[in-house]
Amino acid sequence: MKRDARRAVILFLLPACGLYAVLFLYPVISSLALSLYDWDGFTHKRQYVGLDNFTRLLTNDPMFWTALKHNLFLLTVPTVIILVVALFFAAALSSGVRGARLFRITYFFPNVISMVAITLLWFFIYNPTFGLLNGLLRPVTGGKVTIVWLDPNHIMGSLVAPIVWCSLGFYLVLFLAGMENIPHTYYDAAKVDGANAWQQFRSITMPLLWDVITIGVVFLIIGGLRIFDLIYVMALGYPNEQSQVIATYLYEQAFNNAHMGYGIAIAVVLFVLVFAATAIAMRVMRREQLEY
Amino acid sequence: MSPAADEQSAASPASRARNRSPARRRRTARRRRTARVFGLGALYVILLGYAAVVILPMIWLLYTSLKSNREIFAGAWDLPHALHWENFVYAWVRAGIGRYFLNSVFVTVVSVALILIVSAMAAYALTRFTFRGNRLIFYAFLVGLMIPTQLALVPLFFLINSLRLLDTYTGLILVYVAFSLPFTIFVLAAFFRTLPHELAEAALIDGCTHSQAFWRVMLPLAKPGLVTAAIFNFLGIWNEYLFALVFISSEKLRTLPLGLANLLIVSHYESDWGALFAGLVMVMIPTLLAYSLLQGQLTKGITVGALKG
Repeated sequence: MKRDARRAVILFLLPACGLYAVLFLYPVISSLALSLYDWDGFTHKRQYVGLDNFTRLLTNDPMFWTALKHNLFLLTVPTVIILVVALFFAAALSSGVRGARLFRITYFFPNVISMVAITLLWFFIYNPTFGLLNGLLRPVTGGKVTIVWLDPNHIMGSLVAPIVWCSLGFYLVLFLAGMENIPHTYYDAAKVDGANAWQQFRSITMPLLWDVITIGVVFLIIGGLRIFDLIYVMALGYPNEQSQVIATYLYEQAFNNAHMGYGIAIAVVLFVLVFAATAIAMRVMRREQLEY
Repeated sequence: MSPAADEQSAASPASRARNRSPARRRRTARRRRTARVFGLGALYVILLGYAAVVILPMIWLLYTSLKSNREIFAGAWDLPHALHWENFVYAWVRAGIGRYFLNSVFVTVVSVALILIVSAMAAYALTRFTFRGNRLIFYAFLVGLMIPTQLALVPLFFLINSLRLLDTYTGLILVYVAFSLPFTIFVLAAFFRTLPHELAEAALIDGCTHSQAFWRVMLPLAKPGLVTAAIFNFLGIWNEYLFALVFISSEKLRTLPLGLANLLIVSHYESDWGALFAGLVMVMIPTLLAYSLLQGQLTKGITVGALKG
């Protein structure tokens, strides 16, 4: 390579590599190291404790398991609902119904709103006295039923609706794009053979869309594991054992309780979970490559 | 399936139809048409129903934001008797939404501009030139796409602290830029690969330096890719909460998500709900406007990014 070209490469790469190395790679790598220490973050006293943080987390911390259970709930129930509904809507909108574009634009809109605003909106919707939902329920049930949607017994179930509401549009758009790539002749041939809409969906759309669905499942799983804003804001900054998830528990341990080493250990476990869940999902959903 | 069975199943509907009487055939055809019209009707009911699920909360939000606190508690669905615009004044001025809004505009615009410049330079160098370590650097950025940001959070807090950048926009913006690099470089590198290298060569022959060839020739050509990257980064940073929560502590530096969340926590105890509804409306309106202008590019960007990635 010529000298001026080499100088240009260095000049062009330096800002990105410098920022990335210092503010991304360095903290990530030091996380892996610091998870082995007991450290309050504010004194320089750091005590090496080996894998103690992890053993305590996994064997002696009921809150961690509660949080993990909530994450598993939030990455399965909304995922199943979103997949089924988004696939149904995508199939419906790609079948040439009128106003398909308008429906798509409407459904996608919640995806661009900030999660904090969505949480606030659903906080209002769920409010027991002036909320939209109880406002609907009261006349229907003759004023007898008032559900406290965010009370300890209902909160996990109540979190499903905002998650579906705010992310459905993304998966709809994803699946719609995947369906547009399927050649129309396949459906024409199936119609000639007398296949109904469900048979066409099951035998043509599903297999040819499988890779796109896999991408969707991976996104949903990662999102369900990393969820923070919705839980944190819905609990007004202090989630308890009713709604704690891994990311909020990490925040609480590190920044409220000054257990930095322990918080980092939770972050490392979260990272491992994200990796493992992604790998498992890809493995389970893998099948032979279809060419078309 | 054996060939015989296959033939039979393929032929059976047709042969069955041939055996029926004309009147019966007409009846089945009519029934099928009714079923289809009915099915289509049901489909529209479902589609419109979900559209209502998306739109109704926003309409409800909009008119509730014009109610007085007493009216809000009187009936969830009742329309306001008089329009209480003072909710908006209160939210914008006293509750600080106006300031948070301008803060967010500043942080987002500066961050996105920096992200685009830094990422475009790196993506160009990585796709245009072959050198040792090229692949390694590209993959190092790609790995960043798979790492949850929480993993870096705690050490990053102490790093920013020791750089004396805690509770400053410089610190927050630098973090935003660093964490947006993997995605943006990935998108822009894919875009630069589609551009013909001969154009840069021609610029060099005409006497441009490498920098000039990049800034004057290649960067303008990459505009569609830059627009896509800008929209996604804009949305991501405009809506970002966790980093702002960790790195910003003073009231006057709060970004919109931070200010809004704080308003909820305060309102929850002071219970001035009208102002909170109004604040939320003011947060959503710019998003709605931007969305109606850019939704085409947005959905196109998603499908390109996700299906190729």
